[in-house]
Amino acid sequence: MLFFSFFKTLIDHEVTVELKNDIQIRGTLKSVDQYLNIKLDDISVVEELKYPHLSAVKNVFIRGSVVRYVHLPANAVDIPLLEDATRREASNNAGKAK
Amino acid sequence: MSFFGFDTSRHNPTAAGFSQAHNPFAGLSNNDNEGDALEFEETYDGLGDQLDETDDAFNDDTFGGGDSSAPAPVGKDFDFFGQTAKVANVIEEEHVLFSRQQPAPRATQPVAQAPPQPSAATSSYNYAPQPSYKPARSGYEKYKEEPVGELQVDAALWGVAPKKHAAPAAPAQPAPATSAPPGRKMMSLEEIEAQMRAQAQKKPAQAAAPSPAPPPQVQQQQMHYDQGYHLQQPVQPVQPMQPQVLPQVLPQVLPQVLPQISHAQVKEPSYHPGHGHPVTILQRPQSKHTPPAQPAVQPALQPVVQQRPQPAAAPIQPTQILQNPNRLSGDAAKLGIPSHPTPPMMQPAQPAHPTHRSQGSFSRQPHMITHPSQLAQLSDEEKAAYLEQEAKRAKRNHKIFLMSRDNGLMTPQDKNFITRIQLQQLVSATGNPNEHGTDESLSEDFYYQVLTQIQGGQRQHPSQPLNNFAQTYLFQTGSRQGGMRRHNRGPENHMQRMEQQVQRAVEAAKNKPKNKQLVIEGSLGKISFSNAKTPKPLLNIKRTESTGEVNRPGSAHRVTQPVNGTDKKSALRSIEKVYTILMNMEDHDRTMPPPPANESDAEAVQNFIAWSNEAQLLNTKLWEALRIHDQTHHGNVHPFISFLSYGKGKKAMQRIFRHTTQEQRTTVLTLIVVNLDNLDVVRGAQVTNGDTRLDAAMRENVELFSVAVMSTLFNFMNELELDLVAGVLGIVCTRNVDVIARSRIGASMLTMILSRAEIIKHSQGGSEQSWRSWEITYTQFFNLLEPTLPHIFPGTVNTGEDIYVWQLLAAIGIGASPDQQQRLVLAVKDRVMDTVALAKTLPPDMAAQRLQNVNLFMRSIGLDVELLQ
Repeated sequence: MLFFSFFKTLIDHEVTVELKNDIQIRGTLKSVDQYLNIKLDDISVVEELKYPHLSAVKNVFIRGSVVRYVHLPANAVDIPLLEDATRREASNNAGKAK
Repeated sequence: MSFFGFDTSRHNPTAAGFSQAHNPFAGLSNNDNEGDALEFEETYDGLGDQLDETDDAFNDDTFGGGDSSAPAPVGKDFDFFGQTAKVANVIEEEHVLFSRQQPAPRATQPVAQAPPQPSAATSSYNYAPQPSYKPARSGYEKYKEEPVGELQVDAALWGVAPKKHAAPAAPAQPAPATSAPPGRKMMSLEEIEAQMRAQAQKKPAQAAAPSPAPPPQVQQQQMHYDQGYHLQQPVQPVQPMQPQVLPQVLPQVLPQVLPQISHAQVKEPSYHPGHGHPVTILQRPQSKHTPPAQPAVQPALQPVVQQRPQPAAAPIQPTQILQNPNRLSGDAAKLGIPSHPTPPMMQPAQPAHPTHRSQGSFSRQPHMITHPSQLAQLSDEEKAAYLEQEAKRAKRNHKIFLMSRDNGLMTPQDKNFITRIQLQQLVSATGNPNEHGTDESLSEDFYYQVLTQIQGGQRQHPSQPLNNFAQTYLFQTGSRQGGMRRHNRGPENHMQRMEQQVQRAVEAAKNKPKNKQLVIEGSLGKISFSNAKTPKPLLNIKRTESTGEVNRPGSAHRVTQPVNGTDKKSALRSIEKVYTILMNMEDHDRTMPPPPANESDAEAVQNFIAWSNEAQLLNTKLWEALRIHDQTHHGNVHPFISFLSYGKGKKAMQRIFRHTTQEQRTTVLTLIVVNLDNLDVVRGAQVTNGDTRLDAAMRENVELFSVAVMSTLFNFMNELELDLVAGVLGIVCTRNVDVIARSRIGASMLTMILSRAEIIKHSQGGSEQSWRSWEITYTQFFNLLEPTLPHIFPGTVNTGEDIYVWQLLAAIGIGASPDQQQRLVLAVKDRVMDTVALAKTLPPDMAAQRLQNVNLFMRSIGLDVELLQ
């Protein structure tokens, strides 16, 4: 749930989602679910000339499994907290595994 | 032998009975036993031999032509077979369905009577009762009788007015045909099709035409139906009145077929009560539905409805029960069947408008045209208007029909069930709304919860987006109607039940054993579950104890490579341990009970003591984990110092200081100062006159140290007393002051110590004694530092990274004696002059910056750069 928890905090921030087919979509993160499906609003494709068919698209729903990277807004991430959250997640999982 | 010379031996005992499945080949297989399947002699009825074909004597009689009289429209009277065939189809259909569903002996009875009828009737015609005349087998009969209905989905099942029932209704009208089939018994496929087509087109006209009074036989059959199906319906006395024909045929045959069908398809949710159908049929807008047909239909409708106000409820209820096996009939009655798409005709107030849908259209209708004669009296305009309205009505009805196609597909229970599933998903995805803010949800959703708390106020409630939704559903509605739980058993109650069920579901999900796989007996595979919190694992790697860390190829020789005396891995692990303890302590802090208000509250005192003990325990654990008191072996770096050489170790400092006592903090500070020249950020970041370039990693390291550690120490130092500060400075003097001063961190540390002493002096703190010891320590320190002073500047004058040195010099100068100040100036004179010279070549703002840095030092010894210019 760490990633879900993390991405929830990025809602209403601008992110760039890089898909596994190399398309990069920049837009405002509107929603994310536990599968890390992503809803973006006001999108623009980074290499618009290469993907003209997306130039008319205003918002997208991206299935989580097709996402390669999400470029984060660095100032929206609390790194120490994220580190702690990661530790907690790890200890939770370790507790579950045992 | 038989009556009329019937060859009873030719009766095929193996042929499919009515209670059996239709098998067109049943007869043929029997024939095969006898040898020939089809003989011409058998199929030829021999009528051709009897024909007198020599002249056209009776052609005019037959075809109506010949004379000059106007050609009368050829009626359909002769088309006996077509009618029979259609009726036969319907009968066959019914029987297949009926026998399949309900093999009651009485039910088969009326049907069994049907087949003999044609043959019996045959005898009434004057065909010779010779066996040869009777076409024994054509080989096509069975195909002709194929129950077509099986292949077509009856739309009535879904509560849609069936178009196709309009067709059977019509053939029933010229019912006498049933008893009088023509001699020709075979029809080719083309003929049948043509017949059907003609039928469809002529039907409206036919409906208008006066049809002959039904012969007793039809009525007889009708009554059999009634009895056979056990409908509590008074059997109508046979009335040979004209309009009565339709009522008889329509409401009785058809509706009874319909419940039958729904019996057959119990699982199909169908809301339509049987008698809804005749009405819907009648109002069904057919494309050829011309006004003349209307009057014929209209009177038919009303008698039907009026005839049966009583039994209406009875047939409905059973069908409903069958449709919704879960629903008690009593329950249904109590609920008043609120969501029923077509309410049953329980309201005797409107017998003429049995269904919702027909109400709108029909209520207007009768006022306008109730009889064909009325239409005839209308003017052309009125007629056109009427037709137009009729078309509109038809269109509208069709639209309603299309829209209502799926009406009642789901029962309220079904809908509730779906909602429940959805809510359950929602709850399992977001956690129980009650749990938010608790430890459990915090561990699952830590980052989000804490960050939203930190950022605070952006969102009103951290668990806003999804939970509110669930809460709205679960709790608001529940409380809103909590009071009327007893009285109201209406649909509102569903919400309450659902709420309880969701809570139970959540409980069950929590208590569910950790069985992640389901193995269905007899199946080859496993079904593994997944939910939002524990997604289905794609890889399931079992890590056995033996393959833990020892067997990993990489770690094997890393263990043998100690980094700074301890291997990196164990250092990192000890850091992680510290972090874990820190997090535990923070969690523990969160659960701090309020300090007991007074001594008498034993429980509160008890709680507080327990909490304090626990806190103390954690503190001890942390202290041990930090390994402050570990002895350093010769040549090895202290574990805590190596701890500080890692980024996350540095970052932990602030939190460590938050959870340690003053005494512990002092110990930490002392330890750091003792090892100051051993710190990587000091030893590895020495400045030389020539090259100040540190590699990026070290720069980052230094930066991080000054942000994470130095700021912490600075805050701590600002609370220290003078003797402690003097003690710290004394420790510095025991170390390699040259190394310390030639690093940025070391210089900053010195600045920190010296400036603290200066601040204490300004606030008149410190005792005489401690001041005296401070003076001694300072002098010692100055003597140690003096030779290094010219070399502590990083880089050349041009680099401009020397502000921290000027700060140090200022700190030294302000506490120095005049003699020491003199020596100080001498030591750094060159750098001062160079900087002032450089400032003259620089743009004004940059020059001012440089001069200001120098002035920091100059002012501390009572000078100013202005004097030098």
